[in-house]
Amino acid sequence: MVVINSQLILEAILNGIISGSFYALVASGVSLIWGTMHMVNFAHGEFYMIGGYILFYSLTLWRLNPVLGIILAAVIVFFLGIGIQRFLIHPMIGKPGWEHAPMILTLGVSIFAQQAAMLVWGERYKSIPYFAEGTIPIGGISVAIQRFLILAVCSSVIVVLWIVLKRTKIGMAIRATSQNRDAAALMGINPFTMFTLAFGLSVSLASIAGCMLAPLFLINPWMGHGPLLKSFVVCILGGLGSVEGAILASFLLGIFESMGVILISSEWKDILAFIIMLIILYIRPQGLLGIKERT
Amino acid sequence: MLVVNNIDVYYGDAQALRELSLSVNEGEIVTIVGSNGAGKTTTLRTISGMLHPKKGTIEFLGDRIEHLPPYKIVSKGISHVPEGRGLFPQMTVLENLKMGAYNTEAWKKKDETIKWIEKLFPILEERKDQLAGTLSGGEQQMLAIGRGLMSLPKILLLDEPSLGLAPILVLKIFETIEQLHKEGVTILLVEQNAHRALDIARRGYVIETGTITLSGEREELLDNEYVKKAYLGR
Amino acid sequence: MGLDQFFTTFKVKPTRPSPAMTITLAASLILFTIPIFIRGSYMLHIIILILLYSCTAQSWNILSGYIGVSSFGHQAFFGLGAYTSALFAMRLGISPWIGLLIGGLVSAGFGLVVGYPVLRLRGGAYTAIVTLAFAEIIRISFMNLVEITRGELGLWGIPVFPSIVVPGLGKISFEAGARTPYYYIVLIIFLLTFFMSYKLVNSRIGLAFRAIRESEDAAENLGVNLTKYKLLAFGISAFLAGVCGSFYAHYILILMPTTVLASGVVIDMIAMTFVGGQGTLFGPILGSFILISALEYLRFLMYYRWLIYGGLFVIVMLFAPAGIIPKIVEIAQRGMIKDLMRASSREVED
Repeated sequence: MVVINSQLILEAILNGIISGSFYALVASGVSLIWGTMHMVNFAHGEFYMIGGYILFYSLTLWRLNPVLGIILAAVIVFFLGIGIQRFLIHPMIGKPGWEHAPMILTLGVSIFAQQAAMLVWGERYKSIPYFAEGTIPIGGISVAIQRFLILAVCSSVIVVLWIVLKRTKIGMAIRATSQNRDAAALMGINPFTMFTLAFGLSVSLASIAGCMLAPLFLINPWMGHGPLLKSFVVCILGGLGSVEGAILASFLLGIFESMGVILISSEWKDILAFIIMLIILYIRPQGLLGIKERT
Repeated sequence: MLVVNNIDVYYGDAQALRELSLSVNEGEIVTIVGSNGAGKTTTLRTISGMLHPKKGTIEFLGDRIEHLPPYKIVSKGISHVPEGRGLFPQMTVLENLKMGAYNTEAWKKKDETIKWIEKLFPILEERKDQLAGTLSGGEQQMLAIGRGLMSLPKILLLDEPSLGLAPILVLKIFETIEQLHKEGVTILLVEQNAHRALDIARRGYVIETGTITLSGEREELLDNEYVKKAYLGR
Repeated sequence: MGLDQFFTTFKVKPTRPSPAMTITLAASLILFTIPIFIRGSYMLHIIILILLYSCTAQSWNILSGYIGVSSFGHQAFFGLGAYTSALFAMRLGISPWIGLLIGGLVSAGFGLVVGYPVLRLRGGAYTAIVTLAFAEIIRISFMNLVEITRGELGLWGIPVFPSIVVPGLGKISFEAGARTPYYYIVLIIFLLTFFMSYKLVNSRIGLAFRAIRESEDAAENLGVNLTKYKLLAFGISAFLAGVCGSFYAHYILILMPTTVLASGVVIDMIAMTFVGGQGTLFGPILGSFILISALEYLRFLMYYRWLIYGGLFVIVMLFAPAGIIPKIVEIAQRGMIKDLMRASSREVED
């Protein structure tokens, strides 16, 4: 039996916040895409994965420092996302009677991307070193600097996203498009442009998360699968379409999982997330911050 | 200013508008009256680019606009206040207003324009940080009209502004519309409430099953026996 | 509209069989004779896979195409059937023949468990994610319950079907390597599946399914009991997937969570159904045929074959989002309409 003391709880909460920040970064993109395009992006994990690989090659092949590597990944994935949205996804949107088609298409993109990654980069797992070694003390606990960096970077990016969405003109346009696409068009907003922007931005966020987490887990073509599923859980918990909800739910889930791991072994940890989601869906179908489904 | 020429509009295979023609001159306030399903909203949606006619043309200030997508229409000077208001429910009143000027020249003047609108609808100033979805029906309608004005349009298309509102609010809305007209805004008003519409409009069209059946000056229409029986309940 | 036309073509006329019926019967008879012509054990294996996957894809099609519930966790039904049957045979010595049934029933039961909460969900995204969640719960559980399932290592040496005695043919053994008996078993499953689907589509239940798919609200207003039909769809669909899973277990003889409980399974089902035509009767068969053949015959391309699989999927989705069969129907219709127009304009001229 594990001795539960305040130290353990504190550690769990801290770990939870760290995972939460990472979930939030990936999930906010899924939420943004869902809100703007009314589509679930099944390929989101693959952009996360590509981010990791770009960082790997930045560090090993081009000898860049991690910061440049991450920025490079974010930029490349942004344009990659825009390309995929414009040429593959956009033609599918709005075709009458086939609302599921864009979703299924992203599934196809996901398969393709995983296989391509395996072909181009090989199926052997790759590792990259921590960005910084050592630990720093936070509230009496030593936290690995790498993990702290994850928290710092992910949270900062989320804050930047927040500012863009809430305080910039283009952010307002994106929000308007997700709240009422037709009305937004009447305001002079080209929905296509908004979709492309939102998609590019969202997958770019995922790639940053992929970079941050790469040193912790090994880089491989299927590494996006787990984060994808967690994002789905978190988006539903927070209310599909609400970016704030997804972010809030991410931190809550992270903490809940960390606390849960104290009592049950970590291999069952992922089930916790799903079970929580099912329970919350039963009690409050619109999620924590979601609005009752409007047409 | 606005000339709609013989348009045919379809929803899929079903024809909604048949050889519909109308015109609006600068400074006028013109109304289209008709019952539910007659095609009033469809007409406005076609003008604002949400639908496209299979046949016929729409001209605005000399430019052909019938094939333009909706997001290009507002910069031409046409502002459509849609049926059901079409607000952004999780954005504040202020944000909704700002969105009205989003993609236009009027963006630079938005602060002044907002002040004008707040004078027109004082309640909006009071509620300016409230989420649009939490406003009452009347307030939402005022916000929708206000937002429509933010682009400083040359013509304002109003789709059933009285829908779902209590009579006293309807009165207020129509007073405001009349005031707008006095300030020089050209208005094309679509209304089920023929009384109110013909009260403030100078000219009108009657639309039935997708086509214009009658048109004329307000007095002519008010005197017309058919209009009286069908739409004015006399 | 094209789909309905398609369905109408297959209605049985009471007096004489329609051409479509005749073709179908002829094709079925040909299927029975295939092992006579195909000698290669490997070829037969591919055909067995094609038939099996047609059925698993059809199980997904029933839920998604017929009644419109997008299931992204269907792998759980398949894998549950497979593991149940295998474990019953290995631990409890129960005959795999019965295992087929038990696998189907266990999956059907789980289908109801999943279906019940899904009832309240409106929106494909929610349904997709919830079904996915259930499937992951199953997969992780099976991976972790190592004492029962051997976890990631999987089950090896699953018993084959015990020999049966067929009057006239003698004893038929199912030892590994003898493909032909397996072929006939899967053929029977295949024919039963599609015959039942045909009956379902043309029954009152099928009509209710279609109504629900088109508009749940309208269907409800017309008095269609959504709960009953959705649960029925889940049950049938899951049962079928479970039976297929069981067959798979006693054919391939190896089971691992990554092969039968992972999303790869449902992705195959979805890909095959969509490529062939969602909501159609033969879509899954065509899709299965195309995708499995592609994978096998592109073997010489080594690793690229999976890439092509994904790429093919994407391309089909782009150009024929409803599937190949509906696209063909659409093109044929357009051709018919053009002919009609030409004919009518000729009349006017005369």
